[in-house]
This record gives sequence, C-alpha cells and structure tokens, in this order.
Amino acid sequence: MTEAEIQKEQDLIEKSKKNPRAFGELYERYFDQIYNYILRQTGDDELAGDLCSQTFVNALNNLPRYEFRGFPFSAWLYKIAGNEVNKHYRKHKGKIIFSIEELKVRELIEQTNDDWDEELITRLIQYMNELPTEMVQVLELRFFENKDFKEIGFILDMTESGAKMRTYRALDKLRINFNIKMKYDG
Amino acid sequence: MGKHEIRLRKQRITSRGSERFRNYNSVLKQHEEEKRIKVIVKIFTYFLIIAALILVFVVVTRLEHKEETPSKNTSVSKSITHIKSAVLK
Repeated sequence: MTEAEIQKEQDLIEKSKKNPRAFGELYERYFDQIYNYILRQTGDDELAGDLCSQTFVNALNNLPRYEFRGFPFSAWLYKIAGNEVNKHYRKHKGKIIFSIEELKVRELIEQTNDDWDEELITRLIQYMNELPTEMVQVLELRFFENKDFKEIGFILDMTESGAKMRTYRALDKLRINFNIKMKYDG
Repeated sequence: MGKHEIRLRKQRITSRGSERFRNYNSVLKQHEEEKRIKVIVKIFTYFLIIAALILVFVVVTRLEHKEETPSKNTSVSKSITHIKSAVLK
C-alpha cells in the first residue's frame, strides 16, 4: 500500500468511528480476504461465514479503540479473525483444520522444484501434520496469505524476528527432508 | 498426529464462494444490538455499584449510631452512680 492509500484508509477509519455506516466500504474491501483466511483455518463454508461476520462485528465494536501502529488495517482484521477461530476451537475442543488449496501447494512446489510427483505432495502434507500448529500458522500466513514477517508478528502476537525464526525452522526442515527450496524473503 | 490436520482443498478459493455470506446490514444490526446490550450492562453495573455504596453507607451510619447510643447510656449510668454515692456520703 502506498502512503496515500494508507492515509485514505485512515481517513475512512476515522469517519467510521463516528458513523458505522462508513465502515461498509472497509467491509466490502476486506470481506473476501478475511473469509478466505478463516475458511483456510476451518475448511467449513458455513462456519467461515459465521466467524467472518463475528470478526467484522468485533472490529466495529472495537473500532473506537483502533490506533494506527504502522500496520495495514487488514492486519488488525486478520488478528481479530485469528482470535475468533481460536475461540471457536477452544470452545469446541476440536482439531484445527488447515484447508489449503491443492493448486496453490503445487504452484509453490513448482516455483522451486521441477522434479516433483504426487507422492511428494502426500509426504509433504503428512510432514506438515506433524509440525507444531504455531509453525503451520506462520507458514499459512506467509505462503497462502502472502503476509510479510512484520505483519505475521502482529497478527500472531509475536515479534517479527520470532515469526522469521519460526518460518526458517519449518523451511529448513522442508529443505532437509524433501529437497524443497522455498524463498525466505519477499 | 498434532493438534491440527491439513486437508487439501481441490477447488481454489474464490470470491464467489463467500458471496452468500456477505451482508453488511446484518453486521451493522448485530453491532447495534451488542452496543445496546453493552450500554444496558454498563448502566446496570453503575446502578449496582451505587446501590452497594448506599448500602455500605446505611450500614456504617447505623453501626455508628448503635455505638453512640450505648456509650450515652454508660455515661448516664455512670453519672447516676456518681450522684448516688454523693448522696450516700
């Protein structure tokens, strides 16, 4: 986002603090992103729809307390959405489902590894099932939501270096076990 | 197995899938409702606090009054004893 875009968004947020109807524009802008993020962490359309609505209700309820801290507004919404998902899993004591797109996985592997087959994907998924959940959350935000480490740190309540370290560790393991090289930066 | 499960989704996630859940009016309505409940809870909490303060004030005043009354009695009985002993002398 450019400086001008950030400023425009901040103006809209200030306007929304006074008039909740103005928040509709931000809702329309970020609805898909937040819905998809929740869907990737639940794998259930209906549940994702409910949690997404609750995310925006919470955002609207807490908007008067929102302050710009150098992160895009979407990062704040991701944080609320993540909390809603965690709350859901705590309440229902279920296993966290990461529903990731097969096509996206293939794309990511193809970017770095020409020599791959179906078995590699199956083994990769098995391996990711054994990773700590916190590590999968970081990988999901990094490679499926395309968030930078600073934002990931804010969303998951950790430092930027903590987010980097967690990603590097997971990717190092991938490199060793599967000979997959993924871009660390960018 | 860990606390999570990775599932592969065959279809790519598109904006069309989310369309039926997009409803800002319902979000706004829920926000207004939660805001109203918050205000009611706030008013009720203030009312409870004020009621508790009044109750504490009344209890303290009564206790003070009770403490004062026996002390008055004691002083009266003391003076009566004093007068009695003076008369007897």
